[in-house]
Amino acid sequence: MIQNFLTMSGYGLFVWGSFSITFITCGLFYLKTYKTLKKYERDFVKEINELSSERKKLVIENSKIASQVLSSFSKTI
Amino acid sequence: MFKIFNLGNIFFWIEKLIGFINSIFFILLLIALSFALIFSPPDYLQGDSVRIMYVHVPSAWISLASFSSIAILSIAHFIFKIKNIKLITKSIAPIGLMFTCLALVTGSIWGQPTWGTWWAWDARITSMLILAIFYIGFISTHKLVTDENKANKISSIIAIIGLINIPIIKYSVDWWNTLHQPASIKLTGESTIHSSMLMPLLLMFFVLILYCALIFLMKYKTEIIRIKKKNLKRL
Repeated sequence: MIQNFLTMSGYGLFVWGSFSITFITCGLFYLKTYKTLKKYERDFVKEINELSSERKKLVIENSKIASQVLSSFSKTI
Repeated sequence: MFKIFNLGNIFFWIEKLIGFINSIFFILLLIALSFALIFSPPDYLQGDSVRIMYVHVPSAWISLASFSSIAILSIAHFIFKIKNIKLITKSIAPIGLMFTCLALVTGSIWGQPTWGTWWAWDARITSMLILAIFYIGFISTHKLVTDENKANKISSIIAIIGLINIPIIKYSVDWWNTLHQPASIKLTGESTIHSSMLMPLLLMFFVLILYCALIFLMKYKTEIIRIKKKNLKRL
């Protein structure tokens, strides 16, 4: 039964090949997107931290996004 | 009322949605894969090679839907000049290109045991290849043109011209004599697919749509941060 499942009545190479290509591509694409997002978040936080304390306060007060990124980034650290 | 469309609010909801999709994704993927690879029966003619359809057909549907939405949003961008629309189309395009390539590759793998060839210059396959070229044109415009306004205009034009290709892909199997079989699932009219095969197909489609939503949200979030980073420099 297991052998039948693996060989897929002679179409195993094609079936498993298609599923593997699809899910490996999706996985790699997810990783690339995730890494890019984290890189942008890190750079954004770094730039905010490089601002003078007065400016930093102003940015955090006026930008919901900046405060959210800062808080989520500190959680991941 | 339009406060909900504020980037800050959108950003908040993106975080929530990413968390929600991540929490249910793997369970749904396992269920869909079990149906696609174990519970669904082999086809009386194609045998087990029919299972390739469970990744090929959803990939093709997603690629067509992605390009249609990019083109419609590009038309909306031309009319309403809302910058947010371009962030959305830019985030959708790579997903669409990936699924177009997957549809072509898995279709080719299915073609070998079924038609006896990896590739044929058939109307459906060729028009899908043209779709991939439109996607590449759209994405490379944003990469190569440094002036953002110019890049947005050129990419919108590419998307609108490419929209002509969508009905050609859809009806190519009816208009020309093709190797590719006509549609088995019809929105209007009776579908010719048995429910035991329709179920895994729809499940796989749903899982891949969730995956697309996840990638889209992450890409959209990246675009929003990029814009905010730019604004920070202007301070």
